[in-house]
Amino acid sequence: MILMPELWNGSSPIWFAVGLVIIAYLAIFRRPKPAQFFALTLGLGFMTLAYVSPIGYLADGYVFSAHMVQHLLMLLIVPLCLVLSLPKDQLKSWFHSTGRLSTLKIISLIGWTGGVGAMWFWHVPSLCSISTESPLLGIVRDASFLLAGIAFWWPIYGPLKRTRLEPPVGIIYLFSACLGCTLLGIYITFTTTTVCPVFANPADSFGVMSRLSAAGLTPAVDQNLGGLLMWVPPCLLYVSAIISLLGRWYTNAEHDHSVSGVAGAT
Amino acid sequence: MTDPLLKPDSHETKPDWGLMSWICSVDHKRIGIMYMLLAVFFLLVGGFEALLIRVQLATPMNDFVSPQMYNQLFTLHGTTMIFLVGMPVFTGFSNFIVPLMIGAKDVAFPRLNAMSFWMLPFGGALLYFSFFTGSAPDAGWFSYAPLSTRPFSSLPGVDYWIIGLAVMGIGSISGAINIVATVMCCRAPGMSMQRVPLFVWIMFMQAILIVITIPPLNSAIAMLLIDRWLGAAFFEPARGGSALLWQHFFWMFGHPEVYVFALPSFAIVSEVIPVFSRKPIYGYAFVAGSSTVIVLLSYTVWAHHMFAVGLGMGPNIFFAAATLLIALPTGVKIFNWTATLWGGSIRFTTAMMFAIAFLVQFVIGGLTGIMFAAVPVDWQLTDTYFVVAHFHYVLVGGIVFSLFAATYYWFPKITGRMLDERLGKLQFWLWVIGFNGTFGIQHFLGLMGMPRRVYQFADNPGWAVCNAISSAGAVLMAVGTLVLIWNIWRSLRNGKTSGVNPWQAFTLEWATSSPPPLENFDRIPEIRSRRPVWDLDHPELADWKTEKTPEDKGSRPSPAKTAAWAFVISEAIFFILLLVSYVVFNSGKTAEGPTANTVLDVNRTGFFTLVLLSSSLTFWIAERYLRRTNMRAFQLWLSFTILLGCIFIGGQVWEYYGLISSGVTINRNLFASTFFTVTGFHGLHVTGGIVALSIMLLMARSGYLTSKRSVVYNAVGIYWHFVDLVWIAVFSIIYLGYLQ
Repeated sequence: MILMPELWNGSSPIWFAVGLVIIAYLAIFRRPKPAQFFALTLGLGFMTLAYVSPIGYLADGYVFSAHMVQHLLMLLIVPLCLVLSLPKDQLKSWFHSTGRLSTLKIISLIGWTGGVGAMWFWHVPSLCSISTESPLLGIVRDASFLLAGIAFWWPIYGPLKRTRLEPPVGIIYLFSACLGCTLLGIYITFTTTTVCPVFANPADSFGVMSRLSAAGLTPAVDQNLGGLLMWVPPCLLYVSAIISLLGRWYTNAEHDHSVSGVAGAT
Repeated sequence: MTDPLLKPDSHETKPDWGLMSWICSVDHKRIGIMYMLLAVFFLLVGGFEALLIRVQLATPMNDFVSPQMYNQLFTLHGTTMIFLVGMPVFTGFSNFIVPLMIGAKDVAFPRLNAMSFWMLPFGGALLYFSFFTGSAPDAGWFSYAPLSTRPFSSLPGVDYWIIGLAVMGIGSISGAINIVATVMCCRAPGMSMQRVPLFVWIMFMQAILIVITIPPLNSAIAMLLIDRWLGAAFFEPARGGSALLWQHFFWMFGHPEVYVFALPSFAIVSEVIPVFSRKPIYGYAFVAGSSTVIVLLSYTVWAHHMFAVGLGMGPNIFFAAATLLIALPTGVKIFNWTATLWGGSIRFTTAMMFAIAFLVQFVIGGLTGIMFAAVPVDWQLTDTYFVVAHFHYVLVGGIVFSLFAATYYWFPKITGRMLDERLGKLQFWLWVIGFNGTFGIQHFLGLMGMPRRVYQFADNPGWAVCNAISSAGAVLMAVGTLVLIWNIWRSLRNGKTSGVNPWQAFTLEWATSSPPPLENFDRIPEIRSRRPVWDLDHPELADWKTEKTPEDKGSRPSPAKTAAWAFVISEAIFFILLLVSYVVFNSGKTAEGPTANTVLDVNRTGFFTLVLLSSSLTFWIAERYLRRTNMRAFQLWLSFTILLGCIFIGGQVWEYYGLISSGVTINRNLFASTFFTVTGFHGLHVTGGIVALSIMLLMARSGYLTSKRSVVYNAVGIYWHFVDLVWIAVFSIIYLGYLQ
């Protein structure tokens, strides 16, 4: 089915946005490192796929689980790639320290609330349906996902060291976010309520839905799957990030060595 | 060999060994020993129950015990081994060893420690008291609903099971909070978190896991108790409840509970194998990091215990994948231990032999676990003896064997005497043969279709001989246990004295005398690596010369605040699960009888919500005055906070009075049950908060609470703000109908 040409949207305006981002990125950062440019293209590649591939078509009021895949890409994967694509040195020279601890606390609070809150907010049944039906609100929703995602990853992988959380705190940050999406995932998976009513009776223009139903993807199974997507893949991503934080924590002996001496009293 | 940094008799010449000195003790070492002794006592009780089970199953169609008695035996065997043996014995080791390993004088809260311990015999007594009522619990250790509900278990056995578990749960959580606070706040100077011995790190992880994993059980048993005593129907499908919800809640506790046991085993083996291989552990960060990942992942796999109940294809596939994933962090450690053995100068002491047997048997148990992750295999084998064999390979072949390794390894430190190695090896072989004889053969019985939890089996081909072998193996394990007891008895009476560091081990507990004096150390050696005693003994080969580890920055959080945060996290999970049950029972369908829309006055409760939320503000203002040492203003604003809390409770009483007088009682329908349960527990928490605040006020009036001694007040503040935050969730979901 993925090969059905009707389901691909080659003329999506997302190409325009992607082109704009690449031009702006190159104009601002001039000579990025290859790894950073790769992260950018990977992120933008995922963003393009989220709209141009059948995911984009099916997410538009047909299949709830595709809609969830699109959200996950926009909230987790794309922002993560974008954050990783930012050159450290240049950003360091732009942002000056303004009271490290308080700034970090505020950034983390915004990041966590944004990252976890965005999912909860946009899945209130009424908002979920309206934002799927109204193109303008859909753009607002997706843009908010992107921004919330960037804010979420900033305290973990942000280019500025002083706005990064200490690894143990970062682990709590990510684990609690995992609990947040687990709860929403459990709710969507097991609830008998239709979370996003617009997906319950879609207009089947290309006969896709009848084929999906025949394959067993009824609206109930679809929501089930959507909830599981909300629940398991983000947690796995967070656990992977936690592993990288643990790695950072155990290997930063040399950095710490120069900063502090042997400690004081308990 | 290391010189003792403190001679045993330099502090106390004659320790008091009287009974009262033990009962009243707040010393972490004595409490640790009491935990272990209690566990040994219940090991004998639970082991005796297991023997009776094996006697019953020794021959086909045996009628040694009645079916009712058989059900009680396997229920109590499971419950005892989990809650009264497994949890206490590891808490005991943790209590004894962790403060010594981090160079602390005691745990962070010695009195809380004593309370945590004494909850345990109390809970155990309640559980076993049920025998005297003529109806011991018989619904299995996981008390599946609806079997455990009143219509199917009308006698009080299940009630004793619930109350016993609740009491022991309080002890477990407070004990775990204590370990968390101890590790975070009481480490000796120089010991950064990245330098703690693996035993400490993994027990820290285990304590965190206990803090977050007991609350789902507490929510479930609270709801079951309300079902049984107050006539609600959370778990009675006939009245609209959900038996599956019990399974979800129980396994949300039950699966991480497996790691509550497995982690300490990993911790023990991670100490024993390096010491007897004369090498540092291979890949410290991998062992520590994978233990952290296990804590996180263990929360995501519970539904693999429920593949057979019909969750649907989607959930089954996802949980199967997550289950396969959790094998990775465990598998990593197997490689770490094997690589530590590789090229080491191995000493085959009894402790080491038990650790190596652990490795082999745990891998077998782990691999059969991975088989169960495949849903069709699970469907075929669930509730057969293959399951019994699988989890006994994990729990006995893995965990009990590691426990024996710990016993032989730390006994010299705990008592100052060596255990006899010859008797130790005799016990080892009796256990290896007995254990594999008992449980190895059960894999085949399971594959042949023998169901578990059935008191008799038919004389099918091969079943009689397999069961006879299994029962004979159990006898060997019992004999092995008697050998251990004899060994301990002999050694205590006239065993060889151990000295400070008989194994030439690496960690701080081996730098003080055996047994350690009251406050453990007079002087702590300099800590510059993960093996301070090795560094002390071999200055020319010190670890810190070759491997840099992150320096200690010296800051330690406040124990009171750390404990408050841990408690709040635990309580948050309790409330989240109660709220989940509210959403499950009140969303999507219109229930018969009263609903939130028809009987609740949102505006009135909205007003009381504002009252409660403003109490957080007044608390904060009071806190500022306390910091500025303006005690009059502090007391005024604190009194005001208490008053606001009381007004909120008054509002709740008013609401309850109105509801109850119009016939909306907790047993009316599921809305009423969930409403009263959630708001009732919240009300209890507010009341507890008011009591704590009133104590603060009294302390302030008597001059005890000052700006310099305000940390307790800050800790109470964490709790008070938390209670307010919970109410925001309760109000949004119940009164405003979010998520419905």
